[in-house]
Amino acid sequence: MKPVKIAMMGMTHGHTRKYYQTLLDNQKLDWVASCAQDKDAKKTYELYKTGVPCYLDPEEMYREHPDIEAVVIASANDRHFEQMKWCAEKGIHILSMKIPTFDMKEYDEMIAMCDKAGIVCQIELEMHYNSVVRRLEKLVKEGAIGKIKSVQATNITLSPVWAFPWQGDPQASFGKVEHLKKGDPRYKGGALCDHPHIFDLIRHLTGSSFDYIYAEVAPNLRDGLKVEDMLMAVGKMKDGTAFLFDPSWSRLEEKLAVPGPGWERFPKRMEVNLTITGDRGAISCDCFGPNVYHNGAPNDRYTVQYTYFDEWVGLIDEFVDCIRNHKTPLINLRWHKETIQAMLGCYESIQTGKIARVGG
Amino acid sequence: MNIKKMNKGLDFLREKYGAKNGVITIKDGHCFVGATPLLPGRMERKIVELKKMTENGTLEGVSTLRFASFASKGVSLEAMLAKELDLAAYLGASDVVRVMAVANGPAINVLAKLANDVNVSVEIGAGLPKGEAGYDRHEIIAKRGVACDQTVDTHTKHESIRCWGSDGMEEYTDVDTELFGLSYDEIWNVRAAFALLQGRADAKVWKAAWAKATKAAKLAFAADKSKAAKTIAVKKGLDTNQSIKVAEVR
Repeated sequence: MKPVKIAMMGMTHGHTRKYYQTLLDNQKLDWVASCAQDKDAKKTYELYKTGVPCYLDPEEMYREHPDIEAVVIASANDRHFEQMKWCAEKGIHILSMKIPTFDMKEYDEMIAMCDKAGIVCQIELEMHYNSVVRRLEKLVKEGAIGKIKSVQATNITLSPVWAFPWQGDPQASFGKVEHLKKGDPRYKGGALCDHPHIFDLIRHLTGSSFDYIYAEVAPNLRDGLKVEDMLMAVGKMKDGTAFLFDPSWSRLEEKLAVPGPGWERFPKRMEVNLTITGDRGAISCDCFGPNVYHNGAPNDRYTVQYTYFDEWVGLIDEFVDCIRNHKTPLINLRWHKETIQAMLGCYESIQTGKIARVGG
Repeated sequence: MNIKKMNKGLDFLREKYGAKNGVITIKDGHCFVGATPLLPGRMERKIVELKKMTENGTLEGVSTLRFASFASKGVSLEAMLAKELDLAAYLGASDVVRVMAVANGPAINVLAKLANDVNVSVEIGAGLPKGEAGYDRHEIIAKRGVACDQTVDTHTKHESIRCWGSDGMEEYTDVDTELFGLSYDEIWNVRAAFALLQGRADAKVWKAAWAKATKAAKLAFAADKSKAAKTIAVKKGLDTNQSIKVAEVR
């Protein structure tokens, strides 16, 4: 199979650095170029010494590498539309970060332009390539706990805002500047926008769609943050499954400009945990464990050192397979729309104090 | 271990990333590629992370290693001990030069010394019921920091999934997406074979390291019998405790 000529764009997303190893190692790919949003992003990119040239202007990148077939769009949410448009116009396949856009008009335009261009547009929801999630899906599918009655899921992390400031900027993260609710000085665009995974996983596990959702924000943990960092949601799927989600930034962090050792103040910087109750049993699941633990440098604090962490390997394999074999990715724009609508439902519920019908 | 499945997994990795031809064979319960014994313990990702911590400044001034390994009845204590002593030399970055041990039935407790003066304790037991998955622990105690592959404040193994179904409770820990479906031991043997065929691991180093580890394990049993510590002369030359290049995502 001819390797896919791939590039990265933006380089400001928190997941950017996680692609480097797999783009370099996978022989089905030829990583030819990167294009940073600005000089700061380029400077950070260069710290990782990938050996892949980095440009500041996408047109210049394209002039130098007209054979680019695919792009990983690794930028702030409010840049995705223009970058997708740029790719679609050139017939370049797209791997988008987890939130294509929260603007549903824009979202539909994204679908239309990708369809028109006949390109693959895969959404990066890397949890599907986590081996624990794979086991969980297998157990549920095999009926190990019968029919699912309830799902509790956390997607709790530290906040990346100090390293990736756009994630604390309502315009860049949510796409517009809107207060969470009347009388609340904070804006939409915080922790919720960082954590779509559990809203997606429940759809795969139950095979059902969202019915309604109710959410509450709590007082922020971080002073000076313009957006929400603590919230929870409860709701129901159309098959009756009850759920409780925690998509908060509830793990405090050091204010590092570049992620690295010592980032976490709470020992574990990221947790995706699920408990699922079925009519014939229950499952408890830690998607990022077991690990290795230490209290050494740099901060001499008890710290979880992530040990099994290869989601990006499977994600990229699927992307290449879809490009070369003309397949539709599991998480494509159409599928992902309801996940985004459920997240918007949380914001609507916070605003109104009532349940929000998802997609309604 | 299912050699057919393991070689299928190895072929998949070789094709995907590129590597020389080679197959895994098994002899007396140990896996080989050609005449080279595999050191799957060195490839376990938890060991890789621990090794990194000893080299990247997370831990400073290693003093003592506390290891344990428990398996089901019938598993060779000597093979278990050889694996742990190899990991001690690898994580301690120094060869084993002295061993003392006390054995009793399905257990042996070992106190060893590395050439760099680091102490090593290894508890080995093969008393678990047949079919049990086993359990191990590797703790590195340093002047700055303690690191361990088991979490603090518990003596039970952490599993990714617990499933309470109609047949009782079952536990699962899946550690490798690309080799999903292989057992824990199978995965690390495949990864070891792959590292060897890619040239990231050196056949000469592994042969020498395994020879040292098996010799040290044998001497531990001899020390138990004689009630006297056994000394192992350090051979100059090949450094058998260098780390292997691995993927980095932080």
